[in-house]
Amino acid sequence: MAQPQRRRTNRLRAPRLRGIAAVIFAAAVAAAGILGLSSVSTAETGTGQIEPPVLDRVFPGATHFGTMEGAPPALRAYRDREVIGYVFRSHAVVRSVGLSGKTLDIAVGMDLGGVITGAEILEHHEPILAIGVSSEDLAAFASKFKGLDARDPVRVMRRAPKHGNALDAVGGATISSLLMADAIFQSAIAVGQSRGILEAGLSGIDLTGFEEAGWDALVADGSLQELHLTLADAVRPLDDRGARLYPHGAGPDDPGVRFIDLVAGLATPARIGRNLLGARSFNRLAGALAPGDHLIFAAANGLYSFKGTAYVKTGRFERIQITQDTKTFQLTRNDHMRVDRLRADGAPEFREMALFVLRHDRGFDAARPWRLELMVQGESDAGPVLAVHPLSYALPDRYLAAVAPATGPSQDLWRGVWLDRLPDVIVLFAMLLILGAIFFLQDLVARRRTLYKALRYGFLVVTLFWLGWYTAAQLTVLNVLTFAGALRTEFRWDFFLLEPLIFILWSFTAVALLFGGRGAFCGWLCPFGALQELLNRIARAVKVPQVRLPFTLHERLWPIKYIAFLGLFAVSLGAIDIAYKGAEIEPFKTAIVMRFAREWPFLLYVGALLGAGLIVERAFCRYLCPLGAALAIPARIRMFEWLKRRWHCGRQCSICATKCPVQAIHPNGTINPNECIYCLNCQTLYFDDETCPPLIERRKRREMRSDTVAGEAAHNGG
Amino acid sequence: MKVNAPLTRRRALTVLAAAAGLPLAGVSRTAARAPELEWRGEALGGPARIVIRHPDRHRVQRIVEHCVGEIDRLEAVFSLYRPHSELTQLNAEGRLAAPSHDLRLVMAEARRFGALSGSAFDVTVQPLWQLYSRHFARHPADREGPAQRRVARAAGLADYRNIDCDNGRIALSRRGMAVTLNGIAQGYITDRIADLLRDAGMTGVLVDLGEIRALDAPGDAPWRIGIEDPRDRSRMIGTLPLQGAALATSGGYGMPFDPDGRFHHLFDPATGRSAGQCLSASAVAPYAMTADALATALAVAGPGRSHGLLTAFGGSHARLTLRDGTVVEDTL
Repeated sequence: MAQPQRRRTNRLRAPRLRGIAAVIFAAAVAAAGILGLSSVSTAETGTGQIEPPVLDRVFPGATHFGTMEGAPPALRAYRDREVIGYVFRSHAVVRSVGLSGKTLDIAVGMDLGGVITGAEILEHHEPILAIGVSSEDLAAFASKFKGLDARDPVRVMRRAPKHGNALDAVGGATISSLLMADAIFQSAIAVGQSRGILEAGLSGIDLTGFEEAGWDALVADGSLQELHLTLADAVRPLDDRGARLYPHGAGPDDPGVRFIDLVAGLATPARIGRNLLGARSFNRLAGALAPGDHLIFAAANGLYSFKGTAYVKTGRFERIQITQDTKTFQLTRNDHMRVDRLRADGAPEFREMALFVLRHDRGFDAARPWRLELMVQGESDAGPVLAVHPLSYALPDRYLAAVAPATGPSQDLWRGVWLDRLPDVIVLFAMLLILGAIFFLQDLVARRRTLYKALRYGFLVVTLFWLGWYTAAQLTVLNVLTFAGALRTEFRWDFFLLEPLIFILWSFTAVALLFGGRGAFCGWLCPFGALQELLNRIARAVKVPQVRLPFTLHERLWPIKYIAFLGLFAVSLGAIDIAYKGAEIEPFKTAIVMRFAREWPFLLYVGALLGAGLIVERAFCRYLCPLGAALAIPARIRMFEWLKRRWHCGRQCSICATKCPVQAIHPNGTINPNECIYCLNCQTLYFDDETCPPLIERRKRREMRSDTVAGEAAHNGG
Repeated sequence: MKVNAPLTRRRALTVLAAAAGLPLAGVSRTAARAPELEWRGEALGGPARIVIRHPDRHRVQRIVEHCVGEIDRLEAVFSLYRPHSELTQLNAEGRLAAPSHDLRLVMAEARRFGALSGSAFDVTVQPLWQLYSRHFARHPADREGPAQRRVARAAGLADYRNIDCDNGRIALSRRGMAVTLNGIAQGYITDRIADLLRDAGMTGVLVDLGEIRALDAPGDAPWRIGIEDPRDRSRMIGTLPLQGAALATSGGYGMPFDPDGRFHHLFDPATGRSAGQCLSASAVAPYAMTADALATALAVAGPGRSHGLLTAFGGSHARLTLRDGTVVEDTL
């Protein structure tokens, strides 16, 4: 609560301070703008094609290239007239996105053996400046995929072991590296499967959904599809070429007679197969299928037999074949199963029926259209003449399970990352457990000053050296901006799970925010905060004079960090790339993630902040930190007040206010939770009967009483 | 579209011709109700295109994607350049136990065309092609060609009657025999694509995969296809109207072995030498496969037999450009 007289003085100074704040903000915005202008843009516009120089680089050895076509889109690479591979854009194939949640587009070449011939980034919006990586680093990383096998995707790790199929991630850009690898392999697999280079995976077909459906319903909804040929239809293509279907005088006279009524369909989905064959037969058949095997049902009436008789002798069905996309499937006796009767309501009697199994290793994709091609042979004077009649089949949409098109990182990407980083995860959990214990048992800790100091500085050292410099797990306002961006566009947990330590830290911070405020993170888990505090302790130890800003000035400097945060947030709504650069107001990247290995202007900035921190403890945290501001705003809903106060605080005594490392205690004694870093310093004072005046008083009274009782004259100097 | 494809010579003939002719086609069809959509890509190692008059762009896109897949599938059957194509296997092993319908159909047609043309069209001239191509790779400026002895031996292997394609399998009955389907498979693929489009309900379609096939509703104005001058390929020597039929052009100038163009891929299996009477032959027939084989047969047999060949093949029009530049036309 502000006091009336203070408010009066403030009003006098306020305009000037607001002016200063405005100047600082303007400078920050200008700096952000300049950084934004000088940013490296590697984005290449255009969606469909790939520029010839890129093609030559990602598919060296090709003499020329075709056009982008097919699904998923890819273009063919030729050596002379021979197709030797494909080139495609990862974003066009799997909608690959980067860490920013925006397009990550990589041109990838793959030969017919499934080996990647090259990869080159066409477009990315990775916040690489924010993590201290250049576009060249990412480009160099992309080039490492040349020669890798798409069948056996490499693992990308922060520190890849020497042996084994793994690649080192770009230092400081682990997730971007992971997402790049994922984009390359996912798109290569999709193109490889569609072009018959790689074995097709299981397609998303609803095989189990069942409801009773009669024959007519199955025909009406396209589950079964038909080909009707009259004698005239069969004769026409033969006649055109001077051939006869039957020897003179041997055939039927009526050209309208039914030559063949052929019906075919995919029988693997229960709704088709079980209705056709009955539950018992279907379950027995389906149980014998391996995943990816498919059943094709065919039945016919009419003059012509689709099975013929040759298969009994040769083992091959010569009158039918199945074609799909670029594949031709011949059917043999081994693929064939007899069907004796149909169970579907209203099923007609058929002259012949069959089920054919297409085993998963043949690359049949039941989700894509196929044709059952019927061959009819005639005779001409010059020899036999053949004609092909296709029955086109496309599985109705109702069987296509609602499988989202493959977008973004694959599902199990994050699991691998967590396994990789399991040791780090365990250490972090241990840290958070200790921290939680400190908070829950804060009175016990605060009473024991030596224990408190050991815990506090020990913890800060671990935070700085292990969490910060070793694992680079420094939360930043960028996380907040990314998160907010994801909420506005497409929110996916996968993205946030890709960085296990950051994910855990944020989860903990969010809970702590709800319970007690921003302090749990700022005071204990922020490596840069720890760095400032430890340096300041050293400075105090060597008697560097400390500056204490007058509270009114101090209070008027607080808004800067909010302005910085709101500015960044506003910019991020429109141009997240610029916001990333503006976030350089945080020295975290220079001091923690990159361990000072940066250009001099950044070092100068960090030096200035750390220098200021030597005389004004945690100067950055107090006035500039946009992350602190971002945390303080939602922290206003916090639930608990665990920091103990006395009624004397602020009225008779302001010792803890003066000792508070961030001056979070108002002169009136209340603790400002927006500023408090929960270091528990005030709590040690609260329990210290050598420092806290009410306690000193009580102790003295007690001592006097005991002196009287003991009858001894003891005198402690006042 | 960015195609870095070097136009293979053989391919250039009809494609360039059609390219020059097609704007006319557009103009000539003034009553067009639907826009003409055009796909350009490549097939069989050369540029290819499909023109479809249809109001629904998305539908056309989907069906064209099917067509592209089908072309790819058929290339995997017929290509001499793919190491695992059915044809490559047949040539390597002399037999194929489980040929696809497509190969069986085309081989049967090849035999039939051989019989109809009195051997002017013969798919078993591949040993000659191999002989000439090896010879001129070693002696590019040679004016004589390979030794007569070798030519005679390779020509001796050429006889379509030695293809056994009954009973659903295919066998080449003489050792050393080899088959090229370059004079017929393109036509077959063109027909297949046209069938696909027709079955999808498209009319007003021009499929140009080297050979050209038009699908038209009755009453549509004909497409006008430009025919390239074999002596000066920047020029057209005229146009041919095409309606609901197919047009193919064969010319020795398309793939000459020597700089003078005296040796080229159109072999007369009787002599083992390149056919000499015609510079190029164009044929119109109901199917692209027929037109393809007919044009080859015409180019080999020469103008004297054009009428008989047209009748036997069921073609409707022949146009031959002779060595001296004379153009001979024949219509049934």
